[in-house]
Amino acid sequence: MTQSPPESETVASSPGDTEPAVDPLREFADSVADAVNGEAIVAFDTVKVKVPADRWVDSLAIARDHLGLVFFSWLSAIDWANETQAGDPLSEEVEERVEILATVADLSEGKRVTFSTDLPHETPVIDSLVEVYAGANWHEREAHEMFGIDFRGHPNLSHLYLPESFIGTPLRKSYPLLSREVKPWPGTVDVEAMPETGPSTENPEA
Amino acid sequence: MTTIDADAVRHLAEAQVSVELQTEEMTLNIGPQHPSTHGVLRLVARVDGERAFDVTPVIGYMHRGYEKLSEVRTYPQITALINRIDWVSGYANEIPFVVAAEKLMELEVPERAQYIRLILTEMARISSHLMFLAAYPLELGAGTPLFFSLRERERVLDLIESVTGGRFHPNFNRIGGVKPAYGSGSTTRKQSQDLPAGFLAEASDAMARVDAVCDQIEDLVTGNEIILARTKGVGIIPREVVAAYGVSGPIMRASGVEFDLRKTENYLPYDRFDFEIPVGQNGDCWDRWWVRFQEVRQAVRIVQQAVDDIPPSGPLQAKVPKVIKVPAGETYVRAENPKGEMGYYLVSDGGQGPYRLKIRSASFSNISILPWILEGVLVPDIIAIMGSLDFVLGDVDR
Repeated sequence: MTQSPPESETVASSPGDTEPAVDPLREFADSVADAVNGEAIVAFDTVKVKVPADRWVDSLAIARDHLGLVFFSWLSAIDWANETQAGDPLSEEVEERVEILATVADLSEGKRVTFSTDLPHETPVIDSLVEVYAGANWHEREAHEMFGIDFRGHPNLSHLYLPESFIGTPLRKSYPLLSREVKPWPGTVDVEAMPETGPSTENPEA
Repeated sequence: MTTIDADAVRHLAEAQVSVELQTEEMTLNIGPQHPSTHGVLRLVARVDGERAFDVTPVIGYMHRGYEKLSEVRTYPQITALINRIDWVSGYANEIPFVVAAEKLMELEVPERAQYIRLILTEMARISSHLMFLAAYPLELGAGTPLFFSLRERERVLDLIESVTGGRFHPNFNRIGGVKPAYGSGSTTRKQSQDLPAGFLAEASDAMARVDAVCDQIEDLVTGNEIILARTKGVGIIPREVVAAYGVSGPIMRASGVEFDLRKTENYLPYDRFDFEIPVGQNGDCWDRWWVRFQEVRQAVRIVQQAVDDIPPSGPLQAKVPKVIKVPAGETYVRAENPKGEMGYYLVSDGGQGPYRLKIRSASFSNISILPWILEGVLVPDIIAIMGSLDFVLGDVDR
């Protein structure tokens, strides 16, 4: 569902920027998408560029070498699953997959791009980014232990946070939150769904 | 008796010494508890004489699984969790998260609430940096700056407490504004908690005192030969390494990168204030000390301007429904926190809680550089370097 946000709206840019004709963020997103031959999505001040999994490392190398996106911010994943053991299920059915995200940025104008690619839900495998961005090392280890993603070519794909003997991939939707198994919650004292037509809070005044 | 050649004697003696002092490599285990780590971190190093090699940080002792927990919490409950990521500047952690939710909900936060957020964020920065300015000389053996620094830090924390009710974990931000006042339940007309009477004057006064204590610390530290010897030229991080590892914040700026998210992102109205970005020359421990030191002075400048400029009255909360549901969408909001880039990648499917919340914390990337930077350094320099990275393990492990 949320894969492509409902409205790829124009972005509220900084005050003083009054030309509505060209959205600089959109323009930037398209230039990145052209350079890596991907697909750009601009929504809520965030540029996401989707690339195929087999060009993952190449795309990020282009971003680093030709687009000035030298700063490695983070890498993580989203488990798109229709059945969940923890948290509410999605409101609409999705194609089950693991989406991997890597955000890189420049160090002058504050431009940033979140690269994204889809991997098979059961056996996600992708090439490691360590050769391109050294900082990907720990992020990939985290994604490996939390989502079960295999990073080919990673120098040391061991657990980062969890003990080596730990079994399971905790950030997968299929992994239950154990404290919730012991004691179901939210219970009756917690937040309950309110009627959709309920009155909204009034603007605070004395 | 034959005379023995003098050279032969010396040679023999040296050979004997080298046999007796033959050094063996050993494995040195530091932690999981150590005073200079601000949390629980373990380092395993191979030590050859006085030098450390193959340093492996072992993290995860503070891992609380916030990313998983936030998938079973509602949006208003999450601010209470994320306070505890970097607990030395708990207030600043809340900002990027609420801004991300507000962005998806397309809410306009009232101006006065934005100013309150900004003032408290800068106070959190001052308190975090004053903690560093207190602790770092102590780690190098100088105890006196601690007393000056913590005295003023306490005053700043008192001010944060007077507004929010909490010194470390304010949980003061609400989606759309700031916290409702004590006693105004959801069934009555909600009234937001405004600044207490006299807060702005006290803040102004406290800032002048922080500036003064900076002068005192500068006198104590800047000319101290021991501190200079321990920090100058030690633990140099070149700017390419900073970028590749995603090291951000004061550590990055100490390496000569003039970049500050307060200047480029619009999560709070920083563009209305004058302040400079202090930048180091060499990227060594001393520069990291110096950059944080100057950032305190810049934060003081920002607070003083904001105190003069804040709208005298006005709403503190945008119009939000009683049950907050964030429309479907994805956004990444990052902010310049005291430790560096703190960001949240928020994925909502329209429900009461996030479908996925990726927490990008500064200290995680900042200490991922440890194996690189500690390769071959002297054992005592490990303390000087780790102290200068100013990390919080809660911010590493999340």
